[in-house]
Amino acid sequence: MKIVFLFLLLCTATVQFAQTGNVDFNSPYNIKKFADYLFCDKDYLRAALEYERLTDTNMSDTTEIKIALSYSYIKDYYSAIQKFSGIIKPSVYFNEAKLEEMKVNFLINDFAELRSYFKNSFITEVGKYQTEGEKLFNYSYLFTDDELPLKDEFILPFDVKEKEKISSFYDWKKEPPYKDGTLAGIMSAIIPGSGKIYVGETGDGIVAFITTTVFAFIAYDNFEAGHTTRGWIWTGVAALFYAGNVYGSVAAAQVHNAKITFEFNEGLNIYLNKKNYYIPKYEFCD
Amino acid sequence: MIKVFFISVILFTISVFPQTDNARRTADEAGWVKGGKADYRYQKPNNFRHREYSFDTESVSGFIAKSTANGYWYFISDLDGDNCPYRPSCSAFFVQASKETNIVQGTLMFFDRLTRDYNIYKRHEHYPRVKDGHYYDPVSLYTLDEEQIEYIPPSVTVTE
Repeated sequence: MKIVFLFLLLCTATVQFAQTGNVDFNSPYNIKKFADYLFCDKDYLRAALEYERLTDTNMSDTTEIKIALSYSYIKDYYSAIQKFSGIIKPSVYFNEAKLEEMKVNFLINDFAELRSYFKNSFITEVGKYQTEGEKLFNYSYLFTDDELPLKDEFILPFDVKEKEKISSFYDWKKEPPYKDGTLAGIMSAIIPGSGKIYVGETGDGIVAFITTTVFAFIAYDNFEAGHTTRGWIWTGVAALFYAGNVYGSVAAAQVHNAKITFEFNEGLNIYLNKKNYYIPKYEFCD
Repeated sequence: MIKVFFISVILFTISVFPQTDNARRTADEAGWVKGGKADYRYQKPNNFRHREYSFDTESVSGFIAKSTANGYWYFISDLDGDNCPYRPSCSAFFVQASKETNIVQGTLMFFDRLTRDYNIYKRHEHYPRVKDGHYYDPVSLYTLDEEQIEYIPPSVTVTE
């Protein structure tokens, strides 16, 4: 019994002792350590808030860029741009910050700002990553309707391995495989449903052809049989299907073009993500 | 022996009582659900009978379209059931299209929609779905205003 009592006393004393340690959880060292843990755990919002508790004297270049990256990762792009632009030249991450700033402009689709930033600031201020910046600059033209530069100039900064892919993007942008709505409408006016087939809606086209011709035949048959009123009713139905199909062919061409643009932009985004926006990988959590 | 018998009867009664409907109803009314029979429903949620019959439009086109749709809902659709594979349904599409454009364009859009409705070929590759499984085919795609077109890929589930 005594042994058990002593054992329990010892355990309690040990636990109590461990909790009375003289640890300052709010010391700059511990704040940074905790923030580093949160950052590597991808808990970016809390990581940024923890890093920001550090005073200026305890801030390092790494801490500064980690704050900016955290905001960028949680899609708080306004704060991210502010933080990246606050990283000034003596910082070892100055060049990366400028490239990140271009990436953020990409993510918010502010391509005008991206190009202006590249021309007015990036070229003159940034020593490293000029090629990467130029790649992003050229790539931005693929997302807008602005006039494309010459093809040779456009693909020049890209690596040999990339050139083929970028060249295919360029060609697509130059001559996108859109369908002409007017032509689709005219085709459907001549042969019902053919405009829909032209824009790739084969099923709709066949159905449109069948409905229009069947209702037209019913109308004709009624006229032939001397049922004039019924003939006119079915003529009206056939005419509405016919006109609706002509209209629908024009609309289908527009939807087709929107789909093509959407898929192209998706492809661009996937490629750019795969390339990590030409930004070198950080080794903060390795 | 008699004691054991009575105790057994009491215990049996107690164990059986909560399984009766009366006991469950009392428990449910008291807000105590644990152990109660859950009211599972395996039907898809379907609100097509909750029609909006009111005429909240100021345009003549909207009024004509709404009158037609109301008549169709009241005399045909509510009895016939929810057969349109799309959302908005074809009749709702007609009303919306007429409100957003005019009665002539709305009618053309409606007949084009009917053509799409009759086509059962590869719908799943063309249209995204809403939560209840219907295909999403909004009016905004067909008004001929390119700025209104927002393409949604079929892989996406739309929350209206």
